[in-house]
Amino acid sequence: MVIDPLTRDALIYASSLSMLSLGLTLTYLTTKVPNFVHGSLATVGSYVLLTFVAVFNLDAYLSLPVAFLLGGLVSAALYLLALRPLINRGAGLLPQMIATIAFELVLLSALNIYADIITRTFKVQARDVLLRRFDVQIPGVGPGVLVASLAMVAVTTITLAVLLYRTRFGVAMRAAIENPMLAGTLGVNVKLVYLFSWFLAGGLAGASGVLLGLHYQQDPAFGSRMLVSIFASSILGGLSSIYGGWLGGFFIGLTEIYGIFQLSRLVGSWILPYRIIFPLLIMSATLLIFPQGLVGLQRYISQGLRIKAAGIIK
Amino acid sequence: MIDLEALKLAYIFIVDLLAVFAVYLIVNYTLGLEYGKSGIPNFGKVLSIAAGAFVAGSIPGRLLAQIYDMYGGIEGIRDPVIADCVTGLSPQKPQILQGMDYIEDNVVIVTCLNRVLSNDPLASLTVLLFTMLVAAGAGAGLGFIASYPALRLREDYLAMTLLAFGEFLTAIGYYQREIVGGTLGVSTIDPFGWAGGYRFLTATLFITLMAALVAVYVFFISKSPLGRVLRAMRDQEVAADVLGKDIVALRRNVLMVSSALASVAGALWAFYAGGIIATSYDRVSWTFLPWVMVILGGAGNDLGILLGTGIYWAARKLVDQYKGLLEPILPFSVIWLDRLVFGILLIAILILRPQGVLPEKPIYPLGKNRVDKIIENLRNRG
Repeated sequence: MVIDPLTRDALIYASSLSMLSLGLTLTYLTTKVPNFVHGSLATVGSYVLLTFVAVFNLDAYLSLPVAFLLGGLVSAALYLLALRPLINRGAGLLPQMIATIAFELVLLSALNIYADIITRTFKVQARDVLLRRFDVQIPGVGPGVLVASLAMVAVTTITLAVLLYRTRFGVAMRAAIENPMLAGTLGVNVKLVYLFSWFLAGGLAGASGVLLGLHYQQDPAFGSRMLVSIFASSILGGLSSIYGGWLGGFFIGLTEIYGIFQLSRLVGSWILPYRIIFPLLIMSATLLIFPQGLVGLQRYISQGLRIKAAGIIK
Repeated sequence: MIDLEALKLAYIFIVDLLAVFAVYLIVNYTLGLEYGKSGIPNFGKVLSIAAGAFVAGSIPGRLLAQIYDMYGGIEGIRDPVIADCVTGLSPQKPQILQGMDYIEDNVVIVTCLNRVLSNDPLASLTVLLFTMLVAAGAGAGLGFIASYPALRLREDYLAMTLLAFGEFLTAIGYYQREIVGGTLGVSTIDPFGWAGGYRFLTATLFITLMAALVAVYVFFISKSPLGRVLRAMRDQEVAADVLGKDIVALRRNVLMVSSALASVAGALWAFYAGGIIATSYDRVSWTFLPWVMVILGGAGNDLGILLGTGIYWAARKLVDQYKGLLEPILPFSVIWLDRLVFGILLIAILILRPQGVLPEKPIYPLGKNRVDKIIENLRNRG
């Protein structure tokens, strides 16, 4: 079975977007601040990949754990160095948001500096570079990144489900997110849980960056440009459940790729670069019609059904 | 003996610095109006600025070319100056005699229009004011559209939505060649060309005048009842709501007014630079950097914004001056270094001195003397 390029493109993009919006939702649940750096955390992963394959001639997939670790560390640094001091000072939502854009400024510059350095030191192209040739080809399926993307989603989903619902740490984590004061009173180390959440979200972003980097042309602002799609996915998901973010990511990712393809057949290929119209419209529509997103919608419907059921029983 | 060459360089340096300073001053005052006074996190500042620049790059040139019949071919052109100019340029590009396209033959159209405009200060001024009005309208409209979906929600949703719309407009400018030439850019017509050798000085003085007007406007708002309502909304949204102030309308109006003004700044910058390229209207330069300047100086203090803008541009131009020294030592381009440093500085300010260099001062609507007198009376009675 050979998967056609459009479906392949859509699945790879949607898988990574799904992981990214899951992570964004996770950090939003803990500190209640939208992380404007999240897209660039993926770029960190992409540059780890670039360093592995183009500078050191290593296997592409070996970079996954390193990208996970580095993405996680950068994200944890954002939380520890910028957000936690602000929270300790009692700063509100706005200063925290501004701190994340300040960090984005720092990270974008750092990525550009890194790109300059590897270009000059190793004579390796580090901007507008396509790394597909470093991917493995799986006979009958296509590029390995497709399988790896779907595997990442599956592994992450199962691991998170087990972690959150089957371990003591997961229970503590959910408690700390649900009611930090109460959890703190009961001896849960809320700050550690938050730190871990930020690390995990960054790690997933870093890993997504590797997979995106194996398929799409890379430059230091690549992840940053995905930010709108990540926000749209998380808002569609409702920003209140990580599985909402997961679902929102898949929905927006598939809509973006298939939608723009269908539209280009209707109106011509000039429309292709305007993919951003889909996340923008879906995001606006969500905010106008059901601002609590898919999760809120699901809650609303199930409540409605319950009321209906109660009516029938009466 | 005075070194004339050095003097001339210093003059160019100052005029250029003042122009970019004044443009950013307008932008930063509008951000101060949004964030400092009203608590609206506009993370899509680039939206209105790019809108203004796109208006300046696409509308006046097209309209003038239409008025002077430049699209139809050389026979249709009645104005002798333009006909002369087009004929004069035709050896390099013979097809312009048959007809022109605003984007394809942008250089020809703009060069010839500038010849007419440079002899006609009144027409230039009319074009300038007309463009500013259109830019303001476009800015206000986009401010309305971009904020509409999230106006009733928490500030973070508004921030995300505004950012998304800003990205959308910059993407359109980048990919859609018909608007401002996409990745190649276009030249703008020059409404200051009549000043001849003093062209840049005139443009700079005009932009500075506009910045001064915006500053005065913001100062007045600070002292006015409107300013107090905005502060009330920022500090105690629920209280302002309960006392009958329409929060949604206030937020919307603030965003529309400040977007209109920022849009004018974008148009002025496009005219000053003489051309526009969509890639230079990005999130970092026109959203993040204004935030750095405003927070650095003190978002709630009108003088603080002036100071923050001054500090940033002084530092930036200093780095530019010593670029030649730094560039060989550093293994990367210097522009990333100053963004890196200012990003770190912004985080440090937020943590160590969140009110900025100049903190917000309490305002005395009645005047300080009368407030003191009231306090005095209360003391005597109690």
